[in-house]
Amino acid sequence: MIEIRFHGRGGQGAVVASELLAQAAFLDGKHPQSFPFFGVERRGAPVTAFCRLDDRAVRLRTSITRPDIVVVLEPGLLRAGGVMDGLPPGGLLLVNSRDDPARLPAPPEVRRASVDATAIAVAHGLGTPMLPIVNTAVLGALAAASGAVRLDALERAIDRFVPARPAQNRAAARDGFGAVRLAPAEVAVRAPPVRAGRTLRAGLELPDGPLAVVSSATIATSAWRTMRPEIDLGRCTRCNFCWKFCPDDAIELNAEGYPVVRLEHCKGCGICAVECPPGTIAMVAEG
Amino acid sequence: MAQIVMSGNHAQSYAAMLARVQVIAAYPITPQTTIVEKLAEFVADGRLPAHYLQVESEHSALQSVVSASALGARTYTATSSQGLLLMHELLHWAAGLRVPVVMGVVNRAVAPPWSIGADYSDTIAQRDTGWIQFYAESNQEVLDTVLQCYRIAEDPAVRLPAMVTEDAFYLSHTVEPVDVPSSELVDAFLPAREARAVLVPGVPARLGSFTGPVEYVGFRHDVARAMDRVLPTLAAVEEDFARRTGRDHGGPLPTYRTEDADAVLVTMGTATTTARAVVDRLREEGHRVGLAKLRLFRPFPVEALRSLAASVDRIGVLDRSFTFGPTGAAAAEVRSALYAGSARPLVADFVAGIGGRDITPDLIARMYAVLDGPEPPDVTWMDLAAPEARADG
Repeated sequence: MIEIRFHGRGGQGAVVASELLAQAAFLDGKHPQSFPFFGVERRGAPVTAFCRLDDRAVRLRTSITRPDIVVVLEPGLLRAGGVMDGLPPGGLLLVNSRDDPARLPAPPEVRRASVDATAIAVAHGLGTPMLPIVNTAVLGALAAASGAVRLDALERAIDRFVPARPAQNRAAARDGFGAVRLAPAEVAVRAPPVRAGRTLRAGLELPDGPLAVVSSATIATSAWRTMRPEIDLGRCTRCNFCWKFCPDDAIELNAEGYPVVRLEHCKGCGICAVECPPGTIAMVAEG
Repeated sequence: MAQIVMSGNHAQSYAAMLARVQVIAAYPITPQTTIVEKLAEFVADGRLPAHYLQVESEHSALQSVVSASALGARTYTATSSQGLLLMHELLHWAAGLRVPVVMGVVNRAVAPPWSIGADYSDTIAQRDTGWIQFYAESNQEVLDTVLQCYRIAEDPAVRLPAMVTEDAFYLSHTVEPVDVPSSELVDAFLPAREARAVLVPGVPARLGSFTGPVEYVGFRHDVARAMDRVLPTLAAVEEDFARRTGRDHGGPLPTYRTEDADAVLVTMGTATTTARAVVDRLREEGHRVGLAKLRLFRPFPVEALRSLAASVDRIGVLDRSFTFGPTGAAAAEVRSALYAGSARPLVADFVAGIGGRDITPDLIARMYAVLDGPEPPDVTWMDLAAPEARADG
């Protein structure tokens, strides 16, 4: 049995990637099982999807904690923590990234591969340049890097199950297949420390009060953010509209009455930028 | 018979289409699922000639199919969590009016706090409404059980509504291969409903009028007796289904490796698949363990449990909800069934997987270990501790 875990953000197509892989593997004669996990159905929120491929009916109905392969649809998620959990020596890490795979952080003895699926998706007009849908390009790369599925089965699955732009998606899969880069095995880069507090730690760490007071510091909605607000204080009129409209109380007013964004509570919705009367707030892409 | 890789939600939709349902009513907003989305697609593209009613709440959804069913139509609706709670009043109406509505439910935790994870709180809270309740383990079982439910619910000896439930994510969003029977096969297994219409268009009549205590007792007793007839009806229906499809889901309480077991875990839904693999592992290590799956919760399979208990020392029950009584609901039912029987093994409750918490092989192995220990507690909450610290590589 091969266990593959996908990490993406809501809207990027991680769930569909895992399902398409299952469909393609089924056409290849495998017995697949695929399911996602997401806490909230929001664009930008981290999404995990699990795919098992076996020669017989899968006998586990539980999430994948010891993946053979981890596929990351956006390099920013490598910082989020949890992505490489359980990835053993000899496992494969495939990241949608412009970077040389040898520079990817990974646990020891994990094979690393990268593919610039964003560029491929944009070139084929899949999604928008701001939120390209990279899943088919990544699956093509996965076929090349792992052999978990054959490219022609993947293309047949795209034809049958991708309702929008099947030809462009097929081309993206072929480009991903050709463009994947594998790092030499011997170079090891340590993964950065994970950011704590992404998951609600049930039981022991719950507050004494009603659960409704659990804040976005505990359930890190800031991990959903793909854009952050930057305020040009030189033009700020201290009207406090941003402070009033922020749905998460992520904006505080300092002693002089100027707004200060507390990024640990900001999910990047952009409402402040829309509401600011003098237009002093710009939404800037997260690195 | 074609194999299609599909989700548990779509297994519900395909089953409803194959059953040639005539009226579907659904509230299309959260917490609705892709079950009715797919059915809307089937109706829109002409594959399913049914009336599709988009209503303004789950309460109205169930009211609509109850009325249509009283007119003799074959009906279907689906919901989940808070939506099922909003239907509660009409659940009683459906059973009391003896209409054979079939409903798909995605088992999800109820708020607060908000959660969309697998949990049986929503349907367990409806166990006292007079509905037949099946808990499915695989997408195949979802599809097959929906078809079987129409036969059971519409049987003149039963005439009760039925729900087929599936675990959120672990079935609802899981795609896996499903054998989809041909429409010829299903038509032969499940002919059109023999309309025993209580209401007839053009003939003024009403349902649900006032009764005195004497009549009321009679009606309630009728529902209880109808519930008693579900088990023999299920046996006959399942035999016919197996003859036509080659698939047998094992009745109300299928067992696994219980023949010489000292300890048996009673599971429901998807935890069963994982538990079966754990039983094999523990057997290899020399432990005499087995499992039994509560496929049917209403009516409760009392006799099957008693015959299982005759040869077992200890029974663990996995409760994927907690009902704030002495134990969870499934353990309470198991104990109640066994108390008046001749064998009374120890019964220990394990609360696990609530709010969508993962039920892992290790967690199940720990349940067997507690069950095998010196004094298993009445109730053990299995996954209170924080998740294991993440390795940072």
